Amino acid sequence: MTVHRRPRSLRTLTAMALAASLMGLAGCSSAGTPAADAGAASSPRAGGTLRVGIVGGSAKDSLDAHSPVTHPDEARAIQLYDTLASYDVDHKIQMSLADKITPSADAKTWTVHLRDGLKFSNGKPITADDVIFTFQRITDPKNPMAGATALSGLERDAMKAPDPQTIVFPFATAFATFPDIVTQYNAGIVPVGYDPKNPVSSGPFMTESFTPGQQSTFVKNPHYWRAGQPYLDKVTIIDFPDDTARVNALLGGQVDAIDQLPLGQVNVVKANPQLKVLESATGSWLPFTMRVDQAPFNDPKVREAFRLIVDRQQMVEQVLGGHGTVGNDMYAPFDACFPQDVPQRNQDIAKAKELLAEAGKSNLSVDLVTSAAAAGLVEAAQVFAQQAKAAGVTINVKKVDPGEFYGDQYLKWTFSQDFWFTRDYLPQTAASGFSTSPYNETHWDDKQWTDLVNQANATTDQATRCGIIQKAEQIEFDRGGYIIWGFPNSVDAYSSTVSRFTPDKSGIPLTSFTFRNVWLNK
Amino acid sequence: MVAQTKTTAETASSGRPTTENRKRTGGMRRLLLRRSMFGLFTLWVVSLVVFLATQALPGDAAQAILGREATPERLAALRAQLHLGGSLPEQYISWLGHLVTFDLGNSLAGGKPVVQVIAPMLLNSGVLMLGSAVIAIPLAIVIGTWSALKKDTVVDHVTGVVTLVLASLPEFVVGVLLVLLLATGFLHLFPAVFVLIPGEQVWSNPAQLVLPVLTLVLAVSPYIIRIMRATTLEVLESQYVQQARLKGLPERTVIWRHAIPNAIGPVAQVVALQLAWLIGGVVIVEYLFRFPGIGFQLIDAVTNRDLPVVQILVMAIALFYVVVNLLADVVTLAANPKVRTAQ
Repeated sequence: MTVHRRPRSLRTLTAMALAASLMGLAGCSSAGTPAADAGAASSPRAGGTLRVGIVGGSAKDSLDAHSPVTHPDEARAIQLYDTLASYDVDHKIQMSLADKITPSADAKTWTVHLRDGLKFSNGKPITADDVIFTFQRITDPKNPMAGATALSGLERDAMKAPDPQTIVFPFATAFATFPDIVTQYNAGIVPVGYDPKNPVSSGPFMTESFTPGQQSTFVKNPHYWRAGQPYLDKVTIIDFPDDTARVNALLGGQVDAIDQLPLGQVNVVKANPQLKVLESATGSWLPFTMRVDQAPFNDPKVREAFRLIVDRQQMVEQVLGGHGTVGNDMYAPFDACFPQDVPQRNQDIAKAKELLAEAGKSNLSVDLVTSAAAAGLVEAAQVFAQQAKAAGVTINVKKVDPGEFYGDQYLKWTFSQDFWFTRDYLPQTAASGFSTSPYNETHWDDKQWTDLVNQANATTDQATRCGIIQKAEQIEFDRGGYIIWGFPNSVDAYSSTVSRFTPDKSGIPLTSFTFRNVWLNK
Repeated sequence: MVAQTKTTAETASSGRPTTENRKRTGGMRRLLLRRSMFGLFTLWVVSLVVFLATQALPGDAAQAILGREATPERLAALRAQLHLGGSLPEQYISWLGHLVTFDLGNSLAGGKPVVQVIAPMLLNSGVLMLGSAVIAIPLAIVIGTWSALKKDTVVDHVTGVVTLVLASLPEFVVGVLLVLLLATGFLHLFPAVFVLIPGEQVWSNPAQLVLPVLTLVLAVSPYIIRIMRATTLEVLESQYVQQARLKGLPERTVIWRHAIPNAIGPVAQVVALQLAWLIGGVVIVEYLFRFPGIGFQLIDAVTNRDLPVVQILVMAIALFYVVVNLLADVVTLAANPKVRTAQ
């Protein structure tokens, strides 16, 4: 099978194959299956190179399994490193390198059992020692990795390997969300002595070349544990800091798939018979963050008023072009425990004015700090400023560049925004809900809530835990610091020669970048 | 004019200049020396401005690199790795010292030596600019002259309108229109973006170069065409051209020996300005086409607060500006006997 590098050759081949099949001469095409059959192909085909254009990327790109810093780094990490467990498209945890993850009764000790016959790309077996090395590397106090804060309760020196396939993880306190934490893409398993400059992989592909800010190529890992996978011989990941260039590359046939299709381009792509749009409802959220410890938001009435100011439907229409669902100031909508019976909060300007008057904050004027750090943030800020006028509130939208947004003031802005991918409730609270959490943008520190969530973390019985989580969510609905107006869909696009991209709830584009599931019909 | 050219040639070959010639070349040398000194001074001022401007950017490299992953622990660890810190004057002097001795240090973002990071980018942008200049300049001079010779004909009017329209369009608009026309929308002739295969050079796949080069050619040519037309017209109406015509010289000789050399002088200045613009223009064009050059690199480095790379790239651009303008001075001087011999 030839590798299509030139854009024209791909288009021409497709066109030729189409013409040939129409004329009943399908056998003549050297490119394999005629493109006309592409959509119908049901069984995986081996071989070929998938070229993917991904948002962002920079000279700071890294292949480090535990420290992805750019968005394409996430895509690369998912090709190179498998985790102990992984999310399926419904955001349910499935076992991956591990075949069993079991808690002790008090959820303070977790035991992980590895599958039989696992191997790294260099042929060495994946053992308990490698897993211990991985988690010690992540939590190294001298050089903590991205996943370190979530694992702050891990007693890293007391991890044990009773046998080469079993690892015991002891925690200082009950830690019900352990399976979620080891499922994150930044917790990939690496071998003892791992060197990110020359990475050995445990995932479906291994590195062939890597040019930061430009592109990277990955070839099939012959020792990968999933039978028959990956189907592709090769994956090329190309960085695209610019939206226009990324879409043009897809339209011109230089790449087979792109993530984050700009909303203005959705209809252009839909109109093209050679391209497909992949749209997934997600639990990603773009909240406004109100600091509950600072005026004017230290008054719960002001927070409620601001939540009543938002016209959520209009937000979804204008900011997301309708590609999203309305939010109800509570996160983790795909959590099995998410409360379904809380009435939807709707825009109510009269009530908002009344609450502001009660709080003595009529004719309020507030700065809203925004940045193009994620798609839709700036637009949401502007729409909110418009909507607030009706309630007599003046919102001064202050746009700063991402460098400043994440600079010294990050997590200290009084009224700002942030973005999150899909998470279940408890892992999300660990990241942003506690006074000790790394990303507590709202400075939320509610005694009653904290007790409830700690209690939920120590509860392994699902039904009991759900009851507690629902109470905690109710507290956030009543007096929390987030305005959660909606959950954007992830919208990607790909060539119809590619099979098996499926909608995925994670918020991570292109079916969570699981290119091992994908094959080419060309 | 002809006589003067001869004298210069004699001077060069004999190596024993006459008093008069020594005066002339000495004047020119002094002028060039003064311009060079001024160029160096400009570079120093630029270095100061660049340094202060980059320091004034909010947030440091550690924050910019980690983004929202910047927990206090990880920030501290990365800052220690990157050796960030020290007072401003200290940092400036140490940086200037390293700059002068070509010890450029390491990129903060990738950890590689700055030279390794920017050398390929400079080469790539150089190829792009050279390609554009080599096509645009002769083409523009020919079209400008032609337009002047055909003054008030259809050719002249069409050239006038087209150049005016192109000159008024920003280069990214031209680029987007070209992509739409030749790559994704109407025709599918050329690749819409540049994808560099590792291990290959930018010129390995020339089809990818067509659209970026064409965009730059269309961006710089109009000004050169218009100034070439204007100066040619002016020269054609001058007394010495009329004199040459009255002497009965063939029109070809009149144009190529008498008119064009005198029209080139002012055009050289515009060409230099356009070349200098090119190095700025490539920033936007490279971003649009995802071309791996200095512009693409510069935007990335600013976002990352990768100061060593930003500073060197801006200094390289400033150096290019200064050198191009110096060359333009030389050409102007060489083309204009009055300026050349001025004391």
